[in-house]
Amino acid sequence: MNTCSKCGNQQIIIQKKHSGQSLCQECFIESINEKVLKDTRKYKLLEKGDKVLMALSGGKDSVVALHILNLLREKNIIDIVAVTIDEGIKGYREKGIEIAKGNTRTLGIEHRVVSFKEYFGRTLDEMMGQDGTRPQGDTEPRHACTYCGVFRRWILNRVAQEEGATKIATGHNLDDETQSILMNYLEGNINNLIRIGPKSESRDERFTVKIKPLREIPEKEIGLYAIAADLNVHLAGCPYVGESFRREIGGFIKELSENHPTIMYSTLRGFDKIKSILKKELTPKGNTGECRRCGEPSAGELCKACSFLEGWE
Amino acid sequence: MQVKVIFGEENLTEDVPEDYTIKELLKKLEIPSETVVVKKNEAIVIEEELIQEGDTLEIIKVIFGG
Ligand SMILES: [Zn+2]
Ligand SMILES: [Zn+2]
Repeated sequence: MNTCSKCGNQQIIIQKKHSGQSLCQECFIESINEKVLKDTRKYKLLEKGDKVLMALSGGKDSVVALHILNLLREKNIIDIVAVTIDEGIKGYREKGIEIAKGNTRTLGIEHRVVSFKEYFGRTLDEMMGQDGTRPQGDTEPRHACTYCGVFRRWILNRVAQEEGATKIATGHNLDDETQSILMNYLEGNINNLIRIGPKSESRDERFTVKIKPLREIPEKEIGLYAIAADLNVHLAGCPYVGESFRREIGGFIKELSENHPTIMYSTLRGFDKIKSILKKELTPKGNTGECRRCGEPSAGELCKACSFLEGWE
Repeated sequence: MQVKVIFGEENLTEDVPEDYTIKELLKKLEIPSETVVVKKNEAIVIEEELIQEGDTLEIIKVIFGG
């Protein structure tokens, strides 16, 4: 008979292939809370008195992250303000916003909804044009995720400044992180590779530090946590299906994980070991200036967001 | 034996043999098991759980895209 490794309960909800551990509903929730809070200490993601801007989409990852970080808020260790970015994706984002609102209301957390429309004058749907393939005036076809990522990062940094936040927390999980490591490595994109980690380490203080409290939790376990803890989460896929290369890599890692259940952990561990050396050797020198259009820190004359926007004008 | 299956908007009745597991049912329905959480009679269960006559199985998709 398979019973909970911690309390002996016969109703187990997970059997971890990588560790052999079996857990009941209560012990599973408890173990995830403990693991995330332990990682938060281990990687010094938070300090007492931090004001955390939680990037809350309403999806399982960000909702779970919000609820776990709220444990620290309840102990008066940190303060949280949540922000939901309305990219303007018809038939998809509305529900996420509702769910984000519901969660922050339940927890009594301050919540803002900000949109691409108000900050950039157009929604993601409008950027991508009638056929949803590329913005007008762009010769080089890029995936919607590219624009979305650039503009989301810009807004998060701006809202963090507006709110006086000292950290930006995102819901990135172990699957996301392993995919990014592999993708950037295979594409030879070393500049992006060395930026991957639990905590951003920009030398520029105008960039608010970003943290990923769920970085060592597999996506499947976050889904299980959301159901087990009966959280209200937006379970749906974005109509702009992800970048095809990320999907390929994701599928490949999932396939490998079937017979090698520790593969995501070892990929992350190995990378974290060599990262500091890579970073030391390969971090581009030179100062970061200011974008002449928006004033955000930028290596070039224009930041990425503004270079897209100018191109469309 | 017959069981009820709820998957998203779908409500199905499935005929399955004795000693059938959740894992086998997901395979039959062509649902990748790494993307879902399954509840049997409203309680979360693991893939190895055996299905019994009259059970209600709710299959909840938690991983999208990717
Ligand atoms: Zn237990
Ligand atoms: Zn700019």
